Amino acid sequence: MDERLRSEDETIRLLRESAAAIAPRGGPLSRIRALRFTLPGFSREVWQEIAGLGWLGLRLSEAEGGAGLGMEACCALAEELGQGLVPEPLIPALISLPFLPPALRAQAVAGEIIVLPAWQEEPGALGPPRPITHFERGVLSGQKRFVPMAAGADYFLVAAAEGLALVPKDAEGVSLVTAMTQDGGHLGTLSFEDAPAEPVSAEPLSAGPLSAGPVLAAFAAALDEAALATAAYLLGLADRAFLLTLDYLRTREQFGRKIGTFQALQHRAADLKLALELTRASLWQAARRYDDPATPPGERQRLVSQAKARASRTALEVTAAAIQLHGGIAYTDEYDAGLFLRKAMVITPQFGSADWHARRFAELSPPDEDL
Amino acid sequence: MSDAPVIPPRAPDYNPLDDEAFREVVREFLAENYPPHLRFPPHRLHWAECKEWYFILAEKGWIAPGWPRQWGGMGLSPAKQIILIEEFERFGAARLPDHGIVMVGPLLLRYGTDAQRRFFLPRILSGEHIWCQGYSEPNAGSDLAALRTEAVREGEAWVITGQKIWTTLAQDANWMFLLARTDKTAKKQEGISFFLVPMTSPGIRVRPIVNLELHDEFCEVFLDQVRVPLDHLVGEINQGWSMAKALLGFERIFLGSPRQAANALARLKALADHLGLADDPHFQRRYTEFRLDLADHRALYAVHVARLREGEALGAEVSMLKVHQSELFQRITAYMLEIAAEYGGLLEPIGGNRALHPGGLFIQSRPVSIYGGTNEIQRNIIAKNVLDLPG
Ligand SMILES: Cc1cc2nc3c(=O)[nH]c(=O)nc-3n(C[C@H](O)[C@H](O)[C@H](O)COP(=O)(O)OP(=O)(O)OC[C@H]3O[C@@H](n4cnc5c(N)ncnc54)[C@H](O)[C@@H]3O)c2cc1C
Repeated sequence: MDERLRSEDETIRLLRESAAAIAPRGGPLSRIRALRFTLPGFSREVWQEIAGLGWLGLRLSEAEGGAGLGMEACCALAEELGQGLVPEPLIPALISLPFLPPALRAQAVAGEIIVLPAWQEEPGALGPPRPITHFERGVLSGQKRFVPMAAGADYFLVAAAEGLALVPKDAEGVSLVTAMTQDGGHLGTLSFEDAPAEPVSAEPLSAGPLSAGPVLAAFAAALDEAALATAAYLLGLADRAFLLTLDYLRTREQFGRKIGTFQALQHRAADLKLALELTRASLWQAARRYDDPATPPGERQRLVSQAKARASRTALEVTAAAIQLHGGIAYTDEYDAGLFLRKAMVITPQFGSADWHARRFAELSPPDEDL
Repeated sequence: MSDAPVIPPRAPDYNPLDDEAFREVVREFLAENYPPHLRFPPHRLHWAECKEWYFILAEKGWIAPGWPRQWGGMGLSPAKQIILIEEFERFGAARLPDHGIVMVGPLLLRYGTDAQRRFFLPRILSGEHIWCQGYSEPNAGSDLAALRTEAVREGEAWVITGQKIWTTLAQDANWMFLLARTDKTAKKQEGISFFLVPMTSPGIRVRPIVNLELHDEFCEVFLDQVRVPLDHLVGEINQGWSMAKALLGFERIFLGSPRQAANALARLKALADHLGLADDPHFQRRYTEFRLDLADHRALYAVHVARLREGEALGAEVSMLKVHQSELFQRITAYMLEIAAEYGGLLEPIGGNRALHPGGLFIQSRPVSIYGGTNEIQRNIIAKNVLDLPG
């Protein structure tokens, strides 16, 4: 193994270890339970810890006050957070950081303020190429939907047709309506009525595809990175739901035997393992190639779509099977298996549904490739 | 047994009507009588919430569609029962606490004494007795015959001690039918008897359990030296297992009815309309496949219900119905989640419209392959008892 790879592995190992401060492997989920169905549904103290661990600057360059790590590191961290069902909106927050003015960014990296991106208008889609939200003459008008954990934000980075704009949550003309989600978090609908906002870029989104200008290309790439990190989060949660299930198969007895001795269940478990390994392979392939500067943007998008489509399917498949393989006990709220299913239901469609990514994968794939 | 009515039927005999005319009767009745605030309930309703509907059906004589007319039922043909169920589901009518109707009634009609029938059946019809099913125990789920709740004869009473779990709506029931061990020395299936127990008996404690729908729908039931008179045993002593097996046949055919899948399909269509996907060719393709599955399921279901009505004992084949309907239901709700994307993760129905709740329905479809015998167990039954495979 060459030196560069080895030192990267070491960084990732340390990062995974540091994640244990917030989401210890297989640790108790009592904090997660207690935060469910509250607003904002996550903890500012934990957010401070996250900042203290340097995770907010993970993807920023050293010049920007960050660690300059790649998507492999980012995905490793997201995977750890997923196995712990961490509700703090780290993945969306990472999107906005590179676009913030330096002073605000420093505050955000320090965990003092939280800036969440508000980009989505259609369910299941990764970024509308032609948003109906407008930013003209310094004011925003329109609506953004499905903003995860919006009630916990201080600012929103809004993707309008005319470019990116920054708006405080409590600004005049901004209203936020939240809807609880099955995992105990929420999604926000943001309405803007002539809300005064700060321009971040003046590149129009409606001029063409998201990749029109450098800032918007960067924004589109940030969304892709969030999609990939979400795939890693989903892998983490699916993996843990699977481990919980394996434990149960090894201990629960019926008919005088461990239920794990029944071949019907062994085959189910084998199939789930297969789904998880496909997901893992697809995810790490995407992360590694994403970090390779030689990989062209279209190929990055294609690999992200491949991984996210797979992870979304696997997360639902594994968490639903976890319920089935446990029997009655998993249909209770007291038992943890349901926490994984509910989280999967909410996270699976985020940053592009399986279907959306499958379509983009097809569009970006050369005809007859691999045939 | 003569055919003179013991309990006069309140409803006319609808069997002579043609199917479409009967469907119309049901629709009209629902439109005029169903309490509007109970349509498409977000979860299984508690007795206090749904009893008004129970009483309306009781008054009309429609509470027991499958019971013979002689015992106050509707005596409906299988085909008409299906129509009734379908129309209720389509309308979004709540499922009632129906263990008395679906389980206890058929049990007593088949194995009960005349005195038991005359005492219990009218009280089920009127809604005075609401029943729950005490079979499962913490260590006896799929392996039900391993149950440890014990009944000991003391003079003129049976004294029952043990623990039941996953007892649906036990907190609302005033009676429980349960299986308890009456002979610890016999083979495990041969020492079990069937009891009818008032939930108001001293020594019963009920702990509701919050389920995955975040609703307190099933319970743990603790029985500590609960005394019931000797005539609260059904059939012969130590014959409880075979009666329960026969009843599971009824339960499985009920669980194999197309109602949940049919309802889910209607909701899928409503969701697609709402999302503007109804004309999308991808959607059309999937939707059509589900419709075919449902149509074939109905055909298979009708075959089994017809056998039942002709007095044939239900064999292991009913397991096929349960497996297919539960998994079709689950495939439809999984697809709903797929097209709903972010909406599928919402805790509440879309726009407050209870007919549009993909996430809720997805969760509700999970336990259908667990209760009433898991689908793994059903497949074991098909392999062993239908296919006669070795092992
Ligand atoms: C919503 C709900 C309502 C219920 N209501 C009632 C009620 O009112 N009254 C009542 O008495 N019970 C009720 N039950 C209990 C239900 O009948 C049991 O959950 C069911 O029989 C399974 O038992 P278990 O939960 O102990 O799972 P287990 O039997 O422990 O099964 C765990 C897993 O092992 C598998 N398994 C077990 N044995 C085998 C085998 N031989 N081969 C292959 N796989 C096997 C199962 O399929 C399952 O996947 C309810 C359950 C639910 C979920």
